[in-house]
Amino acid sequence: MTVRTIDVRERVMARNNEIAADVRRQLEAAAIPALNLVSSPGSGKTALLERTLDALGGDLRISVVTGDVQTQNDADRLAARTSRLVQAVVTNGACHLDASQVQHALEALDLADTDLLFIENVGNLVCPAGWDLGEQSKVVLFSVTEGEDKPLKYPAMFRNSSCAILTKMDLLPYVPFDVERAVAAARSVNPGLRFFYTSAVTGVGMEAWFEFLRSLVRSRAVAAR
Amino acid sequence: MHELSLALEVCRIAEANLDAASLPRLRRVSIELGEAANIEVANFRFCLEALLGAPPFGAATPAITLCPGDDLRLASLEVDDDGPDD
Repeated sequence: MTVRTIDVRERVMARNNEIAADVRRQLEAAAIPALNLVSSPGSGKTALLERTLDALGGDLRISVVTGDVQTQNDADRLAARTSRLVQAVVTNGACHLDASQVQHALEALDLADTDLLFIENVGNLVCPAGWDLGEQSKVVLFSVTEGEDKPLKYPAMFRNSSCAILTKMDLLPYVPFDVERAVAAARSVNPGLRFFYTSAVTGVGMEAWFEFLRSLVRSRAVAAR
Repeated sequence: MHELSLALEVCRIAEANLDAASLPRLRRVSIELGEAANIEVANFRFCLEALLGAPPFGAATPAITLCPGDDLRLASLEVDDDGPDD
């Protein structure tokens, strides 16, 4: 038997990362901050975006790409809040978005007419952590109805995110959730994590999130000059 | 679920590095898997075995070596040039 060994040494994520780098270049050239929203299912990504579109959609040209395993329900909910195109990616079973899906979705968007891009990833706290989509940063959401130790159970997602949004704060009186413990758990994984404390139902804490988004758009516009 | 996506990508890289005649003679795919790569080893191996045992491959098997870190690499391919096409 003559065995021939071929040395490959190729990173399995290399192709995804190359496409993600292309997406990032494309978005940077258009001066568009892009946020990849990640969380477990039901943490409130779509509700946060509904409220964000309601509040900022008049001042900022916001584009959205949604990812779901099945249905376009999230995209339909968001399309009801904006006259702009909401791009739905149905992954048909895949547990995360990948860079080629985002690249394809961007082809339908007018980037010259966009100030801010949201990518609402598939609800999953594991797999989306490992897939670069070309975003400026990941924003992880978790709700007060989840455990405070979620950042310890799913450290990669919190480590790879620049911001964390604690959602459903209006439910805090009804659930045994210790905010300080949750924040400490998250910061033990990622000390630089910036926190927002929000309720998309009552609007509590949303203004800080909106101001953060406005400042992102302003800084990108200044950097592009 | 993402183990299957990654296994498919391993197969794509293997195909890109082999000519058509070598595909059914591929015997071993060596993979370096970071322990912090968020990949479930048994699930990943199951996906690889299923894909590498079907056309265009013949009877290739994965050899997974766990390493520190979070990287995942296809390290090398072993082809039996004298063997029958499986």
